[in-house]
Amino acid sequence: MPSSSDVIDAGPAARRARVAAPGALRVGRVRDLLRGTVPVRVVAWVAVAALVGVPLVAVLSLAIASGQIGILASEDVAVAAWHSAVSSVLGAAGAVVLGGALAIVLERTDVPGRAALRLLACSPLLMPPFVGAIAWIGVAGPMSPVNRWWTETFGGPLWSIYGGDGVVFLLVVHGYPVAMLIVGAALRRLPADLEQAARIAGASTLRAFAAVVVPLLRPALLSSATLLAVSNLADFGIPSIVGLPERFTTLSTLVYRYLQSATVDDPLGAVATIGSVLLAVALAGLVADALIGRRRVELDAGASAPARTPLGAWRLPIAAGSWIVVAALTVLPIVALATQSLVPAAGVPLTWETVTLDNLVRAVTSEHALAGMRTSIMLAVLAAVVCTVLGLVVGALVTRTRSRDNRALHAAAIVPQAIPGLVIAVAWLVIAPRIGLFDTPWIILVAYVTAFLGLVVQAVHAPLSATSTTAEEAARVAGASPLRALVDVSWRMATPAAIAGGVLVLLTAARELTLSALLLSPGAQTLGVAIFNLQQAGDYNAASALSLVVALVGLAGLGLAARTPQERS
Amino acid sequence: MASVDIRSLSVRFPDGTAGLADVDLQVADGELVALVGPSGSGKTTLLRTIAGFLAPTSGTVAIAGEHVAGDGANVPPERRRLGMVFQSHAVWPHWDVGRNVAYPLRLARVPRLERAARVAEALELVGLPGAERRDPATLSGGQRQRVALARALVARPRVLLLDEALSALDEPLRDRLRLELRGLVRSLGLTVVHVTHDRAEALAIADRVVVLDGGRIQQVATPETLLHAPTSPFVARFLSDATVLAGTRTTAGFVADGGGIRIADAAIERRVDGAAALAVLPGDVAIVADDHGDATVTSALFARDGSDVVLDWHGVEVRCTAPWRPVVGERVAVSVRRALAFAADAVAEPTEAAA
Repeated sequence: MPSSSDVIDAGPAARRARVAAPGALRVGRVRDLLRGTVPVRVVAWVAVAALVGVPLVAVLSLAIASGQIGILASEDVAVAAWHSAVSSVLGAAGAVVLGGALAIVLERTDVPGRAALRLLACSPLLMPPFVGAIAWIGVAGPMSPVNRWWTETFGGPLWSIYGGDGVVFLLVVHGYPVAMLIVGAALRRLPADLEQAARIAGASTLRAFAAVVVPLLRPALLSSATLLAVSNLADFGIPSIVGLPERFTTLSTLVYRYLQSATVDDPLGAVATIGSVLLAVALAGLVADALIGRRRVELDAGASAPARTPLGAWRLPIAAGSWIVVAALTVLPIVALATQSLVPAAGVPLTWETVTLDNLVRAVTSEHALAGMRTSIMLAVLAAVVCTVLGLVVGALVTRTRSRDNRALHAAAIVPQAIPGLVIAVAWLVIAPRIGLFDTPWIILVAYVTAFLGLVVQAVHAPLSATSTTAEEAARVAGASPLRALVDVSWRMATPAAIAGGVLVLLTAARELTLSALLLSPGAQTLGVAIFNLQQAGDYNAASALSLVVALVGLAGLGLAARTPQERS
Repeated sequence: MASVDIRSLSVRFPDGTAGLADVDLQVADGELVALVGPSGSGKTTLLRTIAGFLAPTSGTVAIAGEHVAGDGANVPPERRRLGMVFQSHAVWPHWDVGRNVAYPLRLARVPRLERAARVAEALELVGLPGAERRDPATLSGGQRQRVALARALVARPRVLLLDEALSALDEPLRDRLRLELRGLVRSLGLTVVHVTHDRAEALAIADRVVVLDGGRIQQVATPETLLHAPTSPFVARFLSDATVLAGTRTTAGFVADGGGIRIADAAIERRVDGAAALAVLPGDVAIVADDHGDATVTSALFARDGSDVVLDWHGVEVRCTAPWRPVVGERVAVSVRRALAFAADAVAEPTEAAA
C-alpha cells in the first residue's frame, strides 16, 4: 500500500481497494503501486544512499577499523588542526564583518552606483579559491612589484601573503560575498514598518537600526559564519598555495601530503580518521545552524519596501571607501594575473619590451593543459547531467509530494554541501578499489556527483517549495495518476530550476581542485590539478596564464548562468 | 492631543509622478478623520507625509501649531510625538509584548516604575491585561494589532495615525475592533487620521471623511453629507456606486446621450443648463416588474436589506436596490426619484486630470 508513504497516492488507491472484489484486490494494488510515485521514490532513495550514505559510512568504518585514533594526538595533526581551526574561524568572522557591512551599505543606504558595486563585490564568488590564491601572489607575494619596491626602499617586504595571515586573508576575500548575499537577503526580507514603528516611537535612524534591524539580522549573521567556517575547513587550494611555503599546514594539506608521500604507515586509515573528525565538526555545524534556524523569529511579508537611509554628508566618504575596498579585492588580483601572464618570468617588470603572449599561447596549447581541460570538461559535463536528472527527481519529490520521508531525503541529498570536499574525496578513495574504479577518472566523477548533487536539489527546492501543491491536485482531478502528475506537472515545473542548477554544477566542477587533487589518477589530470602542478613546479607565469583563462571563462559563464533563471522566473 | 493643519501640500516622487497635489486639510483636536480613495489616490502618501517618512515638495504640515514639515522645517518622525499602527502590525518579533509597548517610553526616558504602570494601563486599555511577558509569536493577528495599538497609545501621542490598521484582519474581528477603536478614540479624546480602502469602515467610524483621487482632495465632509450630497460625480460613484449619465439638461428635463433615457425636471437637484452629468444613487432608483418596461435585469445579488440589482437601461448600466430578488433577464420599469446634476466637465476622470 502506498498510503503509508504517500498521501497523494492514498485516496484513490485506498478507495478502490475497498470497493474492488477480493480476487481483484492484488492486481489492483500492483497497478496502483506502478501508477503511484513509490517506485520513483525508491529509485531516488537508492541513488542518494549509494552516493551519500555509502561513502560516509565507509569513511567512518575505516576510521574505526584502522585503529589509528592515536594519530590525532600526533604533533603533525595537532598543529594542522589548530591551524585549520584558527584560519577557518578568523576567515569566517572577517568575511561576515566585511560582507555584512557591504550588505548594509548596498541594501539600506543611498550610495551611488549600488548595482555595479554589488556585481563587482560578488565576483570573487566566481573565481576558484586556488586561482584567487595564485592571483594574490602577484599582488602581495614577496616578488610582487609593491613588495620589491618596498624592499628596495625600506630593506624588507611590506607584507607577504605567504603564511597563516595570508590564508586568513584569502579565506575572507573568497568568503565575504557569501555573507553579503545571505545578510542582504535577510535585510530585504525585514519589513520596513518594523523600523518605521521604532521611528514613530521616538528612535533616530541609527537607534532604530541598532534596536530592531541588528537583532533581527543575528540569525543570518550566525548562519553565514557557520557555513563559511565549515567550508573554510575544507579548502585545499588556498592553504596549499600560500600556506605551505611558510610551513602553515592545515588538515587538508596534511591529508594531501599523507596520500602523496608515504610519511605514515597506513595513509588511508590515517586520513579516514582525520576525515571522520572533520565530518563530526561539519555535522556539528549543521546542527548548530538548524538550532539557529529554529530560534529564527517569524516575519510577516513586508508591506512596503525598506527605505534607504540618505547618508547626507557621509555619502561620498562611505561610497569612496566601499568602492576602494571592493575594487582592491576584485580588480587587483585580475590585473596581477594578467601582468604575470604577460611577462616571460616572475619578477620581470611589465614593459613594452618584455611583454609576451608566450605564456597564454603555451597555456592554451600545451598538451598538459589541453589534457587537463579535456578531462575537466568531460567530467564536469557528465557530473552536470547526472546531477540535473537526479536533482530533478529528488527535488520534485520532496517539494511536490506529501510524504513523511521527504525531509530525510532532502537532508540526505544536500548534506554533502556542508561536508568538507576532503572527506568526500577520502570516502571515495576508500571505496574505489572495491568497486573497480581505482585509478580511473570515474572515481572523480562519482565524487563530483556526491559533492554537487545538493546544488541542483537546492536550486529546485527553493522556487518549488514556495508554491502550493494545487497544481498537482488539479492534474489529479483532471484524471492523471500520481506518477503522471509528478511527470507532467512537477517535473515540468522543476526543469528550468534543475537546468540552472546543472549549469552551476558544470561550472563548479570544471574549476574544481580539492577533489581531483586527492583522487588524482594517471591519465585523469583535471584543469585544476594542471594549474596546481604548474604552480608547484615553479612555472608561475604559465600557471597565471591558465588561471587567467579559467577566471575569465568562469566570470563570463557564471555571469550568464546567474542571469538566466532570474529572467526566466 | 492636538490638531493637524495641512496647507497646499504637494508631494512629487523622485520619478516625477505626483503623489499629492495642493492638499488643504485641517483636522481638529479630538477629531477622527478617515482618508479614502482608490489605490494610488494618495491617501497613504498623505499619511506618511504627516508621519514624516515623506517630505513635501511644497506646502506645510503643522501639528498642534508646530511647524513640522515644509517652509524650511523638517522634523524627523521620531520627534513628532505621534502614534502609528501599521497594516501588518509591525510588532517587533524579538521582544516580548511588554518590551514592545514600553519602547516609546524608554526612548522618552520615562522612569522604570512609571513605565511599567503605563504599559499595564495601555494593555488594559486595548483588552490585553497582563500580557507583558508574552511572546508576539504566540498571539493571534487581532491580538498583535491590539499590541500595536497599545504601543501607539502608550506615550500619549499628539496624533494617532492608522495605516489600514484593521484591513489585515478577518471580517467579524475587524468589526469588533472597529467598534472598540471608535469607543477608545471617543473616551480618550484622540485626534486620529485613519487611512482605509474600505468605504464602509470610513463612513462607519469617522467624524469626517476625506475622499482623495489622483493626489487631490475631492471632498471633505461628514459621512451623511458625502452620501446625500456628493460634490462630484466621482465621489457619488466611488462612495455610493452611483450611475453617472451624460446628456443635456433642457427645460423639459434631462435627456441622456442616445435619447433613450429621460428624467423629469422635478427629480433633478441643482441648477445646470445645457450639457450635464447626472449622478443617480442606487437608493434613488425604483423598479417595478413590467413586461413592457424599458430596462432588463442583468444581475441581482442578495443583500441584507433587499437586492443589489444591475440593470441595462437603454445601453447604460444602472445600479439600484429592490425589495425583492428579480430574475436575470426580467424586464422592469424604472423611475428615478432623485438625481444630482453636475456640469458636464466634472465627469472627466480626476485621475487623468491630475496625472
